[in-house]
Amino acid sequence: MGKVKPKRKSTLIDMTAMSDVTVLLLTFFMLTSTFLQKEPVTVLTPSSVSELKVPVTNLTTVLVSPEGKVFLSVSGDADSTYSSEKVRAEVLQTAVAEYNKTHSNKIQLTPAQVAKFSKMNMFGYRLADLPAYLDKEQFQQDELLSDPNNPLAGIPIDDNKDLNKPNEFQIWMRAIYNSSNPHMEQSIKSGEGIAVKADKDTPYETVHNILDNLQTLKMNKFSLMTALKTEND
Amino acid sequence: MAQIEQSDGGKKKKGAQKKMQIHVDFTPMVDMNMLLITFFMLCTTMIKSQTLNIALPSNEKVEQEQQNKAKESQAVTLILDTERDEEGNVKYDAETGKPAHMIYYYLGKPDVADEDKDGLIDNSNLKVEKFIGNQNGEVQGIRKILHDKNKTVLEKIAVLKQDWKDKKISDDEYQARAKEIRNDSLIQDRPVVIIKAGPNASWESLIGALDEMQINQISRYQIDNINATDSALIFDYLAKNPRK
Repeated sequence: MGKVKPKRKSTLIDMTAMSDVTVLLLTFFMLTSTFLQKEPVTVLTPSSVSELKVPVTNLTTVLVSPEGKVFLSVSGDADSTYSSEKVRAEVLQTAVAEYNKTHSNKIQLTPAQVAKFSKMNMFGYRLADLPAYLDKEQFQQDELLSDPNNPLAGIPIDDNKDLNKPNEFQIWMRAIYNSSNPHMEQSIKSGEGIAVKADKDTPYETVHNILDNLQTLKMNKFSLMTALKTEND
Repeated sequence: MAQIEQSDGGKKKKGAQKKMQIHVDFTPMVDMNMLLITFFMLCTTMIKSQTLNIALPSNEKVEQEQQNKAKESQAVTLILDTERDEEGNVKYDAETGKPAHMIYYYLGKPDVADEDKDGLIDNSNLKVEKFIGNQNGEVQGIRKILHDKNKTVLEKIAVLKQDWKDKKISDDEYQARAKEIRNDSLIQDRPVVIIKAGPNASWESLIGALDEMQINQISRYQIDNINATDSALIFDYLAKNPRK
């Protein structure tokens, strides 16, 4: 019996076409998508038919977690004189100075802490505990911010109406408004500078508190972040 | 990775050029691309956020005489509420699969007369609607109520929209003229909508209500706080029509 030797076939598959497809896909993803901003809580915004785009520069985002915690994110001007980092550092210093005026426990920040703060996309921590928070490692900070049981996370807010004794949220917002970046003030006045972002299932009562504070601050015009839907939904 | 094959196993005439076939193995390239795609899919978002602009009145106390009083015939009051379970999670409508938002509304003044003193309001004008949107091109639910209230404006804007679709007028012109019509004080039956949100009402329902204002081209609306009369009306409504 003669052995039948199977003919050896080459197993080479031409991957060129596959490679073409993947490169195309990659290009598509790179061009159409934007990077996710790191946020301490994930919120699903409600949808509306409004087609106004969120501005990229000179925007203060007020993120409201379902538990009512408030986080802020400040972006600066496209012009590097008022870049996000510079604006954040300035806002922090103004806010701390304002806080020290009305509180007996004074806050001292080192330049390293300010530099660290200016690199954070989103912040929200009790001012009194901010220096200790800034000294921590990145992953510890993230854990502290996203822990719903941490009473120190989130900017403290109440229904204070007296701007001579502002609460911390009011201190922050005023510091942002008064920053030396003139475009920020303009955009807040025109109603494009502040965007409130809240989850669709959050009770209105929770968000109302924030809207009420903005009204007290006379920042009556602002925008609400939504996703897009059509009129038929 | 790259292989060069010689064809014709050596049976060649002298002087003829050797035919070379070059194979480049693209597998590692594909692997790398796939990794990159995975990275981009996980770290980026395709959803671009939109915004809805609102202007709230200032918090300062306004004198009674200076307040703008809406005419009774034009006023529509919406009271938003969302059904929630014991843990505070939003309930979903079994039929439509949408969140169970209830929109209580009354036209004009609330009717709270209780002549026979049985603790129930005799002729409550409070009604309830839902956000349904359009169905088969017809307005439904709360949108229908608001649509009917703002008919004159909507009819005028529909004419304008047709012109715009036929490219008779430019985008900017369309926007400017639509705004003019929305704010035209000569149109007598423009409604004034007062949006009130109960403590349980979800953020989505408020946005939904603001959205209806935009869809129905209503220029006069305000967000107000719920008061005792409104709570009493809803309490009364629920006493008569208990939730399932």
